[in-house]
Amino acid sequence: MIPQYKYYRPKTLNELKNILGQLKDNIHILAGGTDIVPGFIQESKRFTSIQDLIDINSIPELKTIKEFDGKVSIGAAVTFSEVIKNEIIRKYFPLLVKAAQTVGSVQIRNRATIVGNFVNNAPCADSVPPLLVYDASIKIISPAGEHITPLSKFLLNPYETQLNKNECVTEILLPIPTNNYIGDFYKLGRRSAVSISRISLAFLLHKEENIIKEFRIASGAITPIGKRFYEIEKAFEGKEISSETFMEIASAVGEEVLKTTGLRWSTAYKLPVVQQMLYQLLERNAGGSSR
Amino acid sequence: MIINFKLNGKEKSVTISNNKRLIDLLRDDLKLTGTKEGCSIGECGACTVIINGKAVTSCLVLAQQVDGCEVITVEGLADGDKLTKLQENFMKYGAIQCGFCTPGMLMSAYALFLENPTPSREEIETAIEGNLCRCTGYKPIIQAMISTASEE
Repeated sequence: MIPQYKYYRPKTLNELKNILGQLKDNIHILAGGTDIVPGFIQESKRFTSIQDLIDINSIPELKTIKEFDGKVSIGAAVTFSEVIKNEIIRKYFPLLVKAAQTVGSVQIRNRATIVGNFVNNAPCADSVPPLLVYDASIKIISPAGEHITPLSKFLLNPYETQLNKNECVTEILLPIPTNNYIGDFYKLGRRSAVSISRISLAFLLHKEENIIKEFRIASGAITPIGKRFYEIEKAFEGKEISSETFMEIASAVGEEVLKTTGLRWSTAYKLPVVQQMLYQLLERNAGGSSR
Repeated sequence: MIINFKLNGKEKSVTISNNKRLIDLLRDDLKLTGTKEGCSIGECGACTVIINGKAVTSCLVLAQQVDGCEVITVEGLADGDKLTKLQENFMKYGAIQCGFCTPGMLMSAYALFLENPTPSREEIETAIEGNLCRCTGYKPIIQAMISTASEE
């Protein structure tokens, strides 16, 4: 059943701040609604107790993608379809475009927002691995003001973030990469369309000659929440690019995933897939056949 | 709450007393039952309508959200008794069996043609990725869409 929440549709950021300041409990921000509305129907406890629903789609600043000071900002009401079509994003953040294209269906991508994807923080959120490798930060507003925090710190546990009740994420801030990166996003679902990720990964690699100068890797659905593997990244910087190195990376990431999740019923299947898939992904993009 | 929006080309003003989804507003209040409810969670595409030129599943939209928008449902395609080329081709190629997915399928197809009158086969397949059909195996549907595109 649809709960009898009170519906607000602020038209400016100031109006949004005022509403956030007046309300107390069980406030929820509505952007795409593709998790919230079916959540009502499925009687998900996360949504049925909502008393005040704040629709942020009529705030023009939150519908824009813009480039400034070496950064790109994506507003909180920007949909996956808008991200996919945007020239700035296509130019600087191809992995984000690739991940966005794998989300749901045309109908879902026309409503669902990239910010909503990680605020909901389902382990399978497809935008998270690319945003993490691109070092995304997010801007949060509250009646008291605004602050910026790295996405990696914002995500706490599955379906849990640092966001407080009277706060709203207003934009994603992505630093424009200054190096030339090779990279890819990989998603394995149970089918190709309208599927929930079982395994997802993104990586970026900057090389000079045949040496790894910088390496970034982030997981999605294989760990409880999306995370970067900073120790592994550091360990392989300065290493020579070879099939052996890629095997070592794949093996190290697999071990780290196992450490994070512990043994599960699916481990016997998933672990070799993660390792083999990552190895092939590195080999295909940065290995012998790509040179 | 009063919701003002354009529905199938006509201005509408609807008063709703309870919170509801767009699909409920269309089917229960406005008796436009061409839009079907299948899965209720945005996976089957049966409830697809067009909002401001974009295909969306009406089970994932709240009625209040269409205030100020332009909505097209399957009832808005034909001009009186005159069907669109797309609908004619659905019949010609047997793109319909039980018919439950048809309204949603037509709306996803129509939204694609609004944006791109001459889509490739790949673009056609992507456009209907979010529409399940358990009868036809999709081939006649894709054929009907390819024919519509080639007649443009």
